[in-house]
Amino acid sequence: MIDHRQAFQDEARELLSELESTLLELDEKREDNELVGRAFRALHTIKGSGAMFGFLDIAAFTHGLENAFDRLRKGQLTVSQDLIGLSLNAADQIKKMLDAAAGLGAADLTRSEAILTELRFLIGAPETEMAAAAATPPPPAPVQSGPAREWRIRFRPSREALLNGTNPLRLIDELRQMGDLRVTVDASAIPPLSEINPEHCYLAWELMLTTPSDANSIRDVFVFVENDCELTIEPTDGAAVEPETPAAPVQPAESRRAAQAAAAGASSIRVSAEKLDQLVNLVGELVTVQARLSEVAARREDAEVLAVSEQVEHLTSALRENSMSIRMLPLRATFERFRRLVHDLGADLEKQVELTLEGADTELDKTVIDQLNDPLVHIIRNSMDHGIETKEARRAAGKPPMANIHISAQHSGANVLIRVSDDGRGVDVEKVRKRGIEQGLIQAGAQLSETEIVSLIFAPGFSTAAKVTDVSGRGVGMDVVRRNVEALRGSIEVDNKPGTGLTVTLRLPLTLAIIDGLLVRVDDDYFILPLANSLECVELTTSDIEDAHGNHLANVRGQLVPYIRLREYFQMATQKPEREQVMVVETEHGRYGFVVDQVLGDHQTVIKNLGRIYRNVSVVSGATILGNGTVALILDPHRLVQNAIRAVSHNNPVVGRKNGRARDRRNQNKSNTRKEVTIDAT
Amino acid sequence: MAKVILAVDDSASVRQMVKFTLSDAGYTVIDAVDGKDALAKLNGSGSSVNMVITDLNMPNLDGIGLIRSLRANPAVKGVPILMLTTESQESRKQEGKQAGATGWIVKPFTTQQLLSVVKRLIG
Repeated sequence: MIDHRQAFQDEARELLSELESTLLELDEKREDNELVGRAFRALHTIKGSGAMFGFLDIAAFTHGLENAFDRLRKGQLTVSQDLIGLSLNAADQIKKMLDAAAGLGAADLTRSEAILTELRFLIGAPETEMAAAAATPPPPAPVQSGPAREWRIRFRPSREALLNGTNPLRLIDELRQMGDLRVTVDASAIPPLSEINPEHCYLAWELMLTTPSDANSIRDVFVFVENDCELTIEPTDGAAVEPETPAAPVQPAESRRAAQAAAAGASSIRVSAEKLDQLVNLVGELVTVQARLSEVAARREDAEVLAVSEQVEHLTSALRENSMSIRMLPLRATFERFRRLVHDLGADLEKQVELTLEGADTELDKTVIDQLNDPLVHIIRNSMDHGIETKEARRAAGKPPMANIHISAQHSGANVLIRVSDDGRGVDVEKVRKRGIEQGLIQAGAQLSETEIVSLIFAPGFSTAAKVTDVSGRGVGMDVVRRNVEALRGSIEVDNKPGTGLTVTLRLPLTLAIIDGLLVRVDDDYFILPLANSLECVELTTSDIEDAHGNHLANVRGQLVPYIRLREYFQMATQKPEREQVMVVETEHGRYGFVVDQVLGDHQTVIKNLGRIYRNVSVVSGATILGNGTVALILDPHRLVQNAIRAVSHNNPVVGRKNGRARDRRNQNKSNTRKEVTIDAT
Repeated sequence: MAKVILAVDDSASVRQMVKFTLSDAGYTVIDAVDGKDALAKLNGSGSSVNMVITDLNMPNLDGIGLIRSLRANPAVKGVPILMLTTESQESRKQEGKQAGATGWIVKPFTTQQLLSVVKRLIG
């Protein structure tokens, strides 16, 4: 800093002598504006640089003089003998002040005052303006280090931001230094390719910032762009901060309001489930209409309509997520209720059982939870009665007398897996097979896998209990479980470890109303695959098929992925195109590809139930209406793969359950094109 | 490679301070005494400039004029331009923004303020 001060003193002296000669010249050529400008710049520099390097007295004094020359420059004053004389005196005074600063004598401050007073009189400037102090550095904004709050910042820079040298990413980086930042980009304003100006900025951002800093510190980051961008900064706990908050520390009133809002946010209101259902239904309708709007907009190729439709799509999607999340409830309440059940049943059956829970905070649609209680009760009863042995038997088997039932919940894509495991004796496969034959559920000589035999416990009327107890054994129960779970569009699986326990897994959809789907096309038919499970989309050409020597295997970056061709699966007698597309989906059985003619893209899928006739069609979990009115079936990739695996292991086309293969007619769409679709039922 | 900043100010002490501060922070600084000098150095250097810092009140070609000619020059398209203003120049600030300045810093400023603004604009 010291050498900058020295540099300024040298510079100021130079400027002062230049000012002197300029003033003398000006005395001769009073109309020469160029000379006035030169004098003004000299004073301006002395003032500006003086303030910069700590010569505040010089800056303050010069400011008055600079002001006078600014007015001269603008023609508000005329050059006069008196003014020039005064200015020369002022220049001398500045020189004295410089000397004083350099340690050479002291400047007479009363003289400075006298010169300024005279100047004021001369140019008739209001006192306040003259006294407007030479810029003193603004005090650094006090750092607000209150408790961290979450802020929602919406930022849409102007189109020309990039041309003006603004880099929005820098601003985001700067925010990131203030605290934890989540960034969501909004690309909805990007116009069709033909209209894109590559130098324009079409993006907007939503930034969630958790920081102890206040709104003004955040706003400060955007200070250069504030006036030509859309910017809102608000705390997520609901206390609105006006965009034009004065640069004052947070007012007590405001913080009180914030606290109130926060308190209000924590509380909740009760709304009848019926109203929620209504809301979700309406959102469903909205999504359907929006799909139509998108369709129409795309066909019109009108950028304006397209932009509106995209905005509507964006909003609809947000609204959908929002209304869905309202219906989500944690499973804990349901799970906790089973403690009592296990305790009471344990007392009845004279078995000691403890219940352990895992993932009880997993959230699920309220409708699903409501219908989940009964199946779970049945499964637990079944475990307690059939699975878990008596104390004596447990001791004989070397197990601790205290048995355990473990209920866990976890997310898996768009599904929630609920597992009920016990450490009992498991299912006696041979006994089940015998009972199955006795009850006519299976043929005596049928070759069935262990899993298939164990699934018999879900058959209607099946029971292995030698005696009917109060708890179970009447043969109603497990088939009800299956029916209930399937009514929820879920599936049920059993993992049997004879001697050590049984695990029943319920796979349930997160929601029954609307899902994110991937729209695909085979010939003229549309299908939806759940997006949550979809991994990627690759092409399948004729040469790929030849390379695989007729095996249904696709090479995805060196990895072999088995695939199912939907055209073949559904026995659609149409010619496949030269290029097909494979949608790779993560299933419980690993990665599988689904070969379709074309992957059309993501689709907000409002799930419509199929009629009762289709209840046994397991691979289709519902249907949805597309924008153009066509019906698309929602496929269940897990079931598709399961059926395909079974078909391969039996070496014949898919084996159905008792009722075998159902050939169903379905009304393809409203134009009454009836098509025969064969769907393998399980 | 060090980022290149063109610093334009008719005040030698400000030039020195800016150059000293920014060089110290690892930037390469080219300085110019006014707008005309800046344009000549820009064309002469041949190298690309990552940022321009300019005073507004300068002889020959002032800051506003410099900003306008920079924005009209495709070779420096989108380069951030920081203007140095004084508090009494609110109207000049608006003029500068309209001409295409990216940001501004109010004199007097400290070296820390200068650095943080430069970092904000070019990192």
